[in-house]
Order: sequence, then structure tokens, then C-alpha cells
Amino acid sequence: MIPIRLAGAVLVAALAGCSMSPPLAKGLPATAPRSIELSSTPFFSQEQYQCGPAALATLLVASGVDVTPETLAPEVFIPERKGSLELELIAAARRHGRLPYVLATTADEMVAELEAGRPVLVLQNLGATWMPIWHYAVLIGYDVERNRAILRSGDHEREEMRWQRFAGTWHRGGRFALTTLKPDVVPAIAEPARYVEAAAGLEAAGQRQAAATAYDAAIARWPEEPHAWLGRANVAYADGDRAAAADAYLRAITLAPDDPAPRNNLSELLLDAGCLDESRRQVERAAALAQGTPLESAVADSRAKIEATTATVARCKLADRDWPD
Amino acid sequence: MRIESFRRACVAVMSVSLISVGLQAPAAASVVGTSEAIAAARSDNPRAVVDAALARADVRAKLADMRVDQAAIQGRLAALSDDEVASLAGQIESAPAGGDALAVIGVVFLVLIILEVVGVIDIFKKT
Repeated sequence: MIPIRLAGAVLVAALAGCSMSPPLAKGLPATAPRSIELSSTPFFSQEQYQCGPAALATLLVASGVDVTPETLAPEVFIPERKGSLELELIAAARRHGRLPYVLATTADEMVAELEAGRPVLVLQNLGATWMPIWHYAVLIGYDVERNRAILRSGDHEREEMRWQRFAGTWHRGGRFALTTLKPDVVPAIAEPARYVEAAAGLEAAGQRQAAATAYDAAIARWPEEPHAWLGRANVAYADGDRAAAADAYLRAITLAPDDPAPRNNLSELLLDAGCLDESRRQVERAAALAQGTPLESAVADSRAKIEATTATVARCKLADRDWPD
Repeated sequence: MRIESFRRACVAVMSVSLISVGLQAPAAASVVGTSEAIAAARSDNPRAVVDAALARADVRAKLADMRVDQAAIQGRLAALSDDEVASLAGQIESAPAGGDALAVIGVVFLVLIILEVVGVIDIFKKT
């Protein structure tokens, strides 16, 4: 049933696209420096600590957080698995007020991060696809002439790896790469959606102040990104700043008129501010937009609540009389 | 005089409590979180369709039986262009829905094709 057309498409793509593992000089963007090494990046040996905490501590310390692998280990090391998961590393970075930004699955963003002076945490599979050996390391540079990746890795303070080998291990590891940003920093070639999602992660982790800073940075960079405005509004609302929240919700609605989320939240805010009629109008619009989307039930809840409130507060209990003009 | 001010106080208390009955209770509960809104907006993205297919427990179990590693699949998927992923998502969506054995075999077969055919380890963006 499924495959033949797709097999054809993939085969054509494969034949057209790709030589196996080109050297660094082939792929590196022409504008990038020929070599970079962030030699002031700290080093935490993995001999005493596992690679997850060591690699994350390297990144966090490089971004100005005062941590050690010992303090991180209980947060990220999962003894049964003898290692860490990406999600634990991300959650730990958030707890320390940094914005964990998962880089694109191509190496261009990695190079741009190195250019900006930020080391990059990478997941490598040092084994084979069918027999993986997982390892977290920190990429601190590269050298085009010598075709090398330069890493802080395991118990090697400075490890050089042939670029093709590095590319292969990163590829087999699922192409996971992470930087930890100060919340007011937006990477040079960041993708707006991915950055805002990272900021939303900070918000969800309860780091409201850091999330607000990140949303502001996103808005400054991409003033047309609706989810940045939605996030800014949600944080302002949670902080009790209704006026700022209302303005930001309005901006989000203007930029994404079909998104039920900002309308739903605006209706909540209006209800909260005692503007019942307007609240009901907005939630009805949100409900229409949310039909058939994952937000349908959330908006239905808001609507039920707003209708219940309208019924209690606004219903005239003496409607059966004529009142004088 | 005293009765008048007592009445005023009563009215004030009553109106505050009336308003707060409905308004305070679950105030923040129905606000859609930013992450939730982003996830909802993304649900029609082809990569999300492929991810959802791969995340199904029956598909995962089958792939695990065949000793195919999830991270390896992710690496291969990352090497596909957006158009290729969209075509893959289209194939998955046109497959019979539900936990039907044929659908599982279909997804697993697609994954095996990807693993077999896409031999790219060019990690830079193709321009």
C-alpha cells in the first residue's frame, strides 16, 4: 500500500543529494572562520562524574552560572540508565535560569554558536547504529585545514576528532545539539519558532522572569512572531499586569487571527477584569476557531466558565417587573 | 446615619463577594499555556505527523523487536528535506488509521526504507 512512490522519491533524493561524509572544508559555510577554538571553556573530567553532568556543567559555567558537576549530578544523572537524558539536561538548564536552545539538525547553527563564543553540547553515538555507545561531549571548535572537530570530552580536556568521524557520531546520535543561553540572548541564525518554544519551556518551568526576558528578546528580533507576543502576554497576566497582558494578546491576535489561544486567554483576562460581555464575545470567537483543533476542550472549558459567571453575576433576579424610565 | 453606613458596607461586601464567586475560583486554570498553544499550532506540521507515527507504542515495540534504534531513525529523518518529510507524512496519513497491524507494518516498512536508502552523513545544510 504505502511504499513504492516514497521509495522512489527517497531513492532519487539519495542518489541526487549525497556523497558520504564530506570533509569539513566542503560543508562549512564560506562566511565562517577557518578555525575556532574556545580555549577558555572550562573542563570537568568525566572520570569522577558522568558525561551528562560534566558536559552540562561545562556549558552552564561558560554561560556564567555557578555550578559544578557534583551539584548537577543529582539533577540529571539517572542511575538505572547509567546516564542522562536530553530532557533532564534541558530541565536542569532551566532550573538554573538559562534558556536551553536545541540547535537545528544541521551543523550550520553549531558553527554560528561557536562563532558567537558559545560552546555546544552534543550527543554522540560512538558505537554503531545497532549497538550504540552514548556519549555527551562539548564541541568547542574546529579547524578546516586539519579537518578536525575540537571537543571537551570524557577525560580529555582537549580532544581532536577527524571531522567525518565527528559528523558520523553526531548523526548516529540523532543530531542532538544544545546551547544554554542567557535569556536576553538570541542566537544569530536562530529559528523564531524554536527559540520561542524554548522560552515557553522556561515559562512552563516556572522561570517567569527569565521567560519574560526571553520573550522580550524574541519580540525585539522578530516583532511579527505571534507566539512571542502570546508568551509575553501570558507572563504579564501571571504577574498580574493586566494592561500589558491585554496589549500583548491584542498584538498576538492581530498577527495570528486564526489562533484560538490568544483569544481564549484574552477572554479569561477580560472576565478577570469584570468585562463580561466582551469576555463572552471573545470566547465565542475562540470556540469557533478552536473547533477540531487540540485546543477545542480547553476553550470549551473557558467558555463554560464564562457563561456560568455571566449567569451568576449578570442575571437580573427581578426581571418580571416593569421598571420606571 | 449609622444604619446608612452599615447598609453601604453591606452592599460593598456583597458586591465584592458576588463578583469574586465567579471570577476568582479557577482563574488561571483555563489560560492556554504558551507551550500548549505552540504544540497545538504545530499539529498539522508534517514532521509532527511522522513523529506521532513513530511514537506509537505498537510501532516502537515492533521497531525495538527488530533492533532498530530510535535515535538512528531521528538522525535519518533529520537528513531528509522538508519536502521528503511531507511526502512521508502523506504516506502515513493515507495508511489505514488505528492500531491496525497493517498500519504498523506500513510505518515500520517506511522506516526501514529510510534507514536503508538515505546514506547521507552530510551534516551541513544543503544549499
